[in-house]
Amino acid sequence: MTNEHKRSWLLDLVMLPIGLITFFPFYYILINTFKTMKETAASPLHLPKQWVFTNYVTVFQETPLLRSFGNTLTITVISVLLMVLIGAMAAYPIVYNPGRVNRIVMLYLLAGFMIPFQTTLIPLFQLMTDLQLVDRLYGLIMLYLGGAVFVFFLMMGYMKTIPRELSEAAIIDGCGIAGIFWRIILPLLKPITVTCIIFQTMWIWNDFLAPMLFLNSRSNATLVLQIYTAKGEFSVNWPMFMTLTVITLVPIFIFFIVMQKQIVKGIVGGAIKG
Amino acid sequence: MVKWKRHLQYQWFLLPILLIYTVFTIFPLLKSVYLSFTNFDGYQKTYDFVGLQNYARIFTDNAIVSGISFTLLFAFASTLVITILAIPLAIVLDRNFYTKNIHRAIFFFPSIPSGLLLAYIWGFILAPISSGVLNDVLHTLFGMKAQPWLSDPVLAKVSTVMVAAWAATGWHAVLYLAFLQSIPKDYYEAASIDGASRLQQIRYITLPLLAPAMTVSVMLLLTGGFKVFEIPFALTRGGPGFETHTITQVIVLRGISETQYGLASAMSVVFFAIVLVIACFQVKLMQRREERIQ
Repeated sequence: MTNEHKRSWLLDLVMLPIGLITFFPFYYILINTFKTMKETAASPLHLPKQWVFTNYVTVFQETPLLRSFGNTLTITVISVLLMVLIGAMAAYPIVYNPGRVNRIVMLYLLAGFMIPFQTTLIPLFQLMTDLQLVDRLYGLIMLYLGGAVFVFFLMMGYMKTIPRELSEAAIIDGCGIAGIFWRIILPLLKPITVTCIIFQTMWIWNDFLAPMLFLNSRSNATLVLQIYTAKGEFSVNWPMFMTLTVITLVPIFIFFIVMQKQIVKGIVGGAIKG
Repeated sequence: MVKWKRHLQYQWFLLPILLIYTVFTIFPLLKSVYLSFTNFDGYQKTYDFVGLQNYARIFTDNAIVSGISFTLLFAFASTLVITILAIPLAIVLDRNFYTKNIHRAIFFFPSIPSGLLLAYIWGFILAPISSGVLNDVLHTLFGMKAQPWLSDPVLAKVSTVMVAAWAATGWHAVLYLAFLQSIPKDYYEAASIDGASRLQQIRYITLPLLAPAMTVSVMLLLTGGFKVFEIPFALTRGGPGFETHTITQVIVLRGISETQYGLASAMSVVFFAIVLVIACFQVKLMQRREERIQ
């Protein structure tokens, strides 16, 4: 545009109130964690008159937060890694061994995008009960692996852009079909793998429905589930609940700060491929 | 024989995904269709085929009718609001100003945490009592009397869509931003030499070239909208009455809590059909629009 290189204060001024309103909910819960119940009720918007930190101590005493953090981390890391592996493996024969059979397989897998998960919810609930996978972390992990279809889709698009000469050269060097995948293709998938990891991590870390249905005991709860339980428990004690919320936001905020560039790249890469 | 062996060496890579996808997606889908024709209640081993009885009951069940209509309303309304907000936001964030990066971060951050958590935060802000910040602020500034943001049938729906828009607009603006940045600068230079104003440039260059981004964004918003559960659940618990129940919440209620498996399955099958029709229609529409523009 015409004055591309000139910065104007005008936009800063226009955007300031909009930015403040957008950010307001986070300011609001953060300041109230340093107040007593009485002060939160009396003046919710002001900075605390006297900063109290007891809410933080009490929350750690009353909720198994570290345990839940561990559960969430375990579920997320294992299911994301397995999904990426399974999805990448599936894309390999579809791209490198095309034919009528694999075209049908591809369409069969892509049909998964059209199936709303709600439609599968009731039989899934029965299935999980029958297989005794309820209230087991590995049960939930198995359930999440269905998300590999999304990974497969992104991997397939990316794998098509890898030059064939690489695998052909490897065959001449005596590398087998499986070897080509593990030693040549898989390492080359790194950029799209980052995209997949970000998308799937955000999905699983934040998921509420599946943990609510399939994890019953508090010791197996994820962080989001812990918030849900606490909403009932601390229903009157707003500062306490807000403190729990702020604590669970900390790892998410760190993830955001560290990964912001990658997340944006992931969205863009995923969207253009998708 | 050698050819066969070669094929097999490739094909076994498909085994894990086919197994998992079939067991956890296709099999439950088919079973949903099957259960929708039965009166299975989850306890008795024997059950009967009842034909289309469950399908007939859907339309007389208040919760189900509300669930389907609110989910559709939410999907379309949130898509519309977010698209209308995200495109101008992206155009502004593409310009050069001092606090550009901090603004990008502020708008983007709400799309990272769980919807449940965000909706609980908004629950405090929209609460009807005196600590409900929004009512407090509106009263101090304009002398407005307290509004039942979450317990009035219309306001509750509006609040849900607004919270969802607050959470997702930044994410979609980033998506549009990426497409904006790929528009060659000479287009604008040529246009301004020809005497086109900034608004004309946006209208005739920027918006048409954003069409592919819009296809992606709208598709993601609609499919995400159909899956909505956490935000209304955490904000209103689906109330007042069944007004803001989502399809997911009704399936959990009728199917899992009340174990009316047949009825809930029939509803989920009908929902699948609706989503399928909308998805096909949308893809056709968007493709035609993109072709027309280019």
